This record gives sequence, C-alpha cells and structure tokens, in this order.
Amino acid sequence: MLDFKHTDRTRREFEALALGHLDPLYSAALRLTKNERDAEDLVQDTFLRAFRFFDKFERGTNMKAWLFKILTNTFINRYRRRVKERTVVEGAAREQSSEKFIVRETAESAVNPEQYFFDKLLSDDVLRSIDGLPIDFRLVVILADLQEFSYKEIAEILDCPVGTVMSRLYRGRKLLQKNLMSYAVEQGVLQAPRAMELSSEAEEEADVLQFKRRAGG
Amino acid sequence: MPRHCREFESFLPAYVDGEFDAYERAAVESHIEECAVCRRAVRIQSAMKEAVKRAAPAVAPIELRRSVRLALRDEEPRGSRWDGVLRNPRSVGLLAAAVGAAVWFLAGGMSHPLFPTRHHSGLVDDGIALHRRGLPLDYTASDVGSVQQWLQGRLDFAARVPRFRQGPALQGVRLSQLHSRSAAALSYSVPQAEGRRVTLLIVDDPDDGDPPGSVRRLPGREVWLSRSRGYNVVSWRTDEIVYSLISDLDESDVLQLVQAVELR
Repeated sequence: MLDFKHTDRTRREFEALALGHLDPLYSAALRLTKNERDAEDLVQDTFLRAFRFFDKFERGTNMKAWLFKILTNTFINRYRRRVKERTVVEGAAREQSSEKFIVRETAESAVNPEQYFFDKLLSDDVLRSIDGLPIDFRLVVILADLQEFSYKEIAEILDCPVGTVMSRLYRGRKLLQKNLMSYAVEQGVLQAPRAMELSSEAEEEADVLQFKRRAGG
Repeated sequence: MPRHCREFESFLPAYVDGEFDAYERAAVESHIEECAVCRRAVRIQSAMKEAVKRAAPAVAPIELRRSVRLALRDEEPRGSRWDGVLRNPRSVGLLAAAVGAAVWFLAGGMSHPLFPTRHHSGLVDDGIALHRRGLPLDYTASDVGSVQQWLQGRLDFAARVPRFRQGPALQGVRLSQLHSRSAAALSYSVPQAEGRRVTLLIVDDPDDGDPPGSVRRLPGREVWLSRSRGYNVVSWRTDEIVYSLISDLDESDVLQLVQAVELR
C-alpha cells in the first residue's frame, strides 16, 4: 500500500535539506555544461535522482557533498560523449595559445602585480578560463575554489584518492592561470612581457628541457 | 627555479586551500619566507581562487526553483514505491533488476551488460520528464519545413520532422541532451483534445536495442507502447532514429495519432 503520509513527510524533509543548495548546484552546473539550458536540465535531474535515492542518504552526513556527487555522476554519464569531443578541441586550442609565451628566466617583479592583475580581470574572462579547462581539472577547480569543499570531500564526490584531487588541482590551477594570462594579453590588460613573468615556472622549465632534448638531437 | 622548490610547488595548492595542519603550514611558511618564487606562486593562487569565487557564483532562475518543486511533487522516493510494487510478485524480479541497475548507475556506470534495455527505458523516463516540464521552446513555428530547416546543423544526426495527416498542430522545438545523445523535442497541441500538449522526442539510436514497451503492429509499421507515470509513450524507429510520442492521452488516442504520422 502506498503510504502517502510517509511520502509527504519524506518530501518535506528532502526539500528542507536539499533545496537550499540549489544556487551552488546551479552555479557548478553552469560551469560544467557551459550553458543555461543544460545547466537547468542537469540540476533538475540531480534533484529528481537525489529524491529517488533519498533513502540512501545517511542522515546527519553532508547533504551538499551528497548532492554534488549525484550532480557530477549525472553530468559525467550524460555528457561523456560530448565532453570527449570537446576535450580534443580544447587540447589543440591550448597548444596554440601556449605558444604566445616566450620562455625566459623569471625575475620577481619589484612591485606586487598579482592582486592588481586579478582585480582587473573581468568576470567573463575568469569564467571563460574555467570553461576552457578539460573536464577533470574543471571539476576539481569548481569543487575546491567555487564551492570550497575540502580535499577529502572532493575525493568522496569524485570517488578518487585525495592524492589525485591534489595533483588535478595543481595542474588545473596552472592551466587556469595560463588561460587567464592569455585572455589578459588578448585584451590589453596585460602586456606580453608581464604575462611572461606571471606565467608558470614549472612549465617553462619543462619547455627548456624539451628544448635541450631537441637541441641535443 | 631552484630544485627544492619543485617539491614545495606541488604542496602549494593544499597550503592555499587551508588543508595543512599547523606543523605543515609552518614548514611551507618557513620556505616561502626565503623563496621569492614560491611566495609569488602562493600569491597568484590565492588571488586566482578569489577571482573564481567572485566570478562564478550564479543564482538559479526562479523558474528552475519552481520546476524542481513541481517535479518533486510527482516523484516518489524509492522507499514508498516499493510497498506498492512488492505486492505484485511478478514485478519483484524486475524490481531487483531495476534497483541493481539504478544503484550501479549512481555509482557512475553508463551501460550495463546485464540490462541492455535499461538505457532505453531511462530514455523514456527522461523524455517524460522533459515533456512534463514544458520548458520554453528554442524555436517556434507551425510548419514542418521551417522546423526541419532550423534543425539542420543543430543535431548530429538527420532527424526528420514528421507530418501528421490530421490532428496535432506543431508548436515548435526544443533541443535537449538525453543520456549523452542529442535530442529534439517537438511540441504539438491537439485541438481534438482541448489543445492538450504532445511531445515527439527524436533521438539518435546507434545501438540496436528495441525501444521499451510491448510491440504493437499498426498498418505498415511496428511500434512499441509503454506506460510510465501516467503517460503513454509510443516509439518507433526509422533509419536508426527513434521517435517517441509522449502524451497523457489514452492508449487508443495515442495510437491513432501515430497512425496519422507520415515521415514524408
């Protein structure tokens, strides 16, 4: 027999616990799907799925993290094919843009330009830079920087070891930095030499090694 | 960059994110006090984190909040659904399979070797959800030709907008994404049924599983009829593309509508 009272109570409990996370989920969905329509669909499906599996949720544990786990799983399952196609394109675009940066020994600037630089960046450029990240990196950057989940929570959401979260975040932020620099140069916020100073040392080092390898035959 | 910075560099995100305990923090801090390169890397990462936090938060549209609440009204949590289903011994096996597939799906899977048709029935449920939501159309037009033209290049497969000899009046189309397949949802209203809404979902179908439901033979065509959440869904396949007509009209009406379809 269907117990409607039970269903109503469950629904009220679910709404009380879950609907407060609508904005964060939508924000993350926007950056994952990169458009409003798909983000709305993704969020709606996340809530329906979460409600269907509400009995799996351990009361007293982190509801937000649980919802984000469902959101990322739904996204990965549903959009996998499209994402794959896109990653290939992004890879090619990235290689191109990295050529803008000339390898040079970095000296610390006398002034402290970073804060000024990031303050001048337009939100749109920041969003475009996030959107340009391959999906694995985009996910950890969204979860760590936008949602401020702990590494342990991110590891649970993505079902991977904490070490993987750390290394993806490390590489993700490097790529993000690079994307931001290239937009800044493109729009004249930053001149190319300044961008060089801000671009990442480790990659320069890698470039140098590559250069040496090539030079050595 | 000094060699020992290599080691520190990979720890910097954890430092910036406040993941370290006091001891680890002190170790990083004593290093960055001396090392200008790492000091700047920390500044850049913190500034970047702030920039992301400033730029990315969005407020969900009021319409979304409303439609989530509405959709939840029609939904039952799994626990309460069991009670009804378990009374019917025939459905117990199906239920076990469905729960297995669903749990496995939540765990991150895509297609289950044991339940090849799960995928299709999920498609029908998602199609119904799409129909029920009645989200705004991407393109509004009442003639088949212009909708067909609009779809050209927007789908990665050659969908054909069918004509109805009688009955449903085309309203327009909305693009969607169902189970990583692009899909078009054509919206119709049926004047003979007080203008009730009917959705024709067109999905590319690369795997050859049958659409869900029971087979019905109509003149010159085989269709699959299934019923879910109070909606009747009639599906058929033409040129590896699956068409599903979704409505709350009753079975005989919906089959009659399908018989009025000509694919060109």
